[in-house]
Amino acid sequence: MTMGGAVDDMTDFSAPTLTEGIAQVVEVEGNMAWLVPESGSSCGGCSSAAACGSKGIGTVSSRLEARRFQLVNDFGLRIGERVVVGVRENALLRASITAYVIPLATLLISGALAQWAAGNDFVTMAAMLAGLVFGLWLARVRAGQLMAKGELSPRFIRRASMGETCNS
Amino acid sequence: MKEYALLIVSAALVNNVILARFLGLCSFMGVTTRIDTAVGMGMATTFVITVSSMADWAVGAYLLEPYNLWYLRTVTFIMVIAAAVQFTELTVKKVSPPLFQMLGIYLPLITTNCAVLGVAILLVEQRMNFIEATLFGFASSVGYSLVMVMFAGLRERLALADTPRLFAGPPIGFIVASLLALAFMGFSGMTS
Repeated sequence: MTMGGAVDDMTDFSAPTLTEGIAQVVEVEGNMAWLVPESGSSCGGCSSAAACGSKGIGTVSSRLEARRFQLVNDFGLRIGERVVVGVRENALLRASITAYVIPLATLLISGALAQWAAGNDFVTMAAMLAGLVFGLWLARVRAGQLMAKGELSPRFIRRASMGETCNS
Repeated sequence: MKEYALLIVSAALVNNVILARFLGLCSFMGVTTRIDTAVGMGMATTFVITVSSMADWAVGAYLLEPYNLWYLRTVTFIMVIAAAVQFTELTVKKVSPPLFQMLGIYLPLITTNCAVLGVAILLVEQRMNFIEATLFGFASSVGYSLVMVMFAGLRERLALADTPRLFAGPPIGFIVASLLALAFMGFSGMTS
């Protein structure tokens, strides 16, 4: 995922607020930097949280590796540096709607229509499966549109200060 | 149609998963410090609970019941839920890697969310048919998301409030949660 390097004007109070997180630079390739988010869970716990229940599930390193992302390195980032990145809050909402609400809505609507038309559990289950597949296809199309607008891309905000965590 | 509407109101409000059945309390306290994370977690949980309710009903009706294996239901449902979460994670990753990067953090938390297992066990014990089980799972998870978002909004305000030092943070959160539970008791008696 290639990220734009624009920094929001923080004096513009009418601008949508950003959800911030801390990421570490793990690789620099020419003008691009690869980053891995520090957050290991959605509870806000990160490298500062020694005891996190979600850390036992799967391998944390592989999950973080899967969430690697790229930023345009206009800021001279070096390997090992920690930076604060952010996405717009409404982008999180749109991403959640795209990933979960669209497939769920098509699943439920197709199931309701099948139940009303056939009234048979097998037919309803098959219709719901078809609805889910259709919803996932719609979600893919919508995600492509959001990505083309750059709404799913984290932005560089600033370098993280020493000892800064996502909880501070 | 009326019984379906009552089922939805009952599962979402009267017998709310968090405030009446006291399930999913770890995510209720852990993920509600901000509204955006509560919304993300709520939507992911809604999807997973609905899909796993359907799968759990099918496994119960076509595998456990015919072979008289009900004593294995807890273990079986845990496996079905884990499979549903993995399916969701893989699907989101395949459908859109950027979406996965943004939302994938919520999915591992859902595997250990007892609300998902609780809803599955409730729907088989109440001998629901397929469409009732799906609606029950969906409505329960909508109730879960509703409470998560409400509580996250309250906690965001509490973070700015002038709270006595001893009550700051989780203690005042627990007090607010208990008041919220009392408020939801007002729904009791609407449906069974």
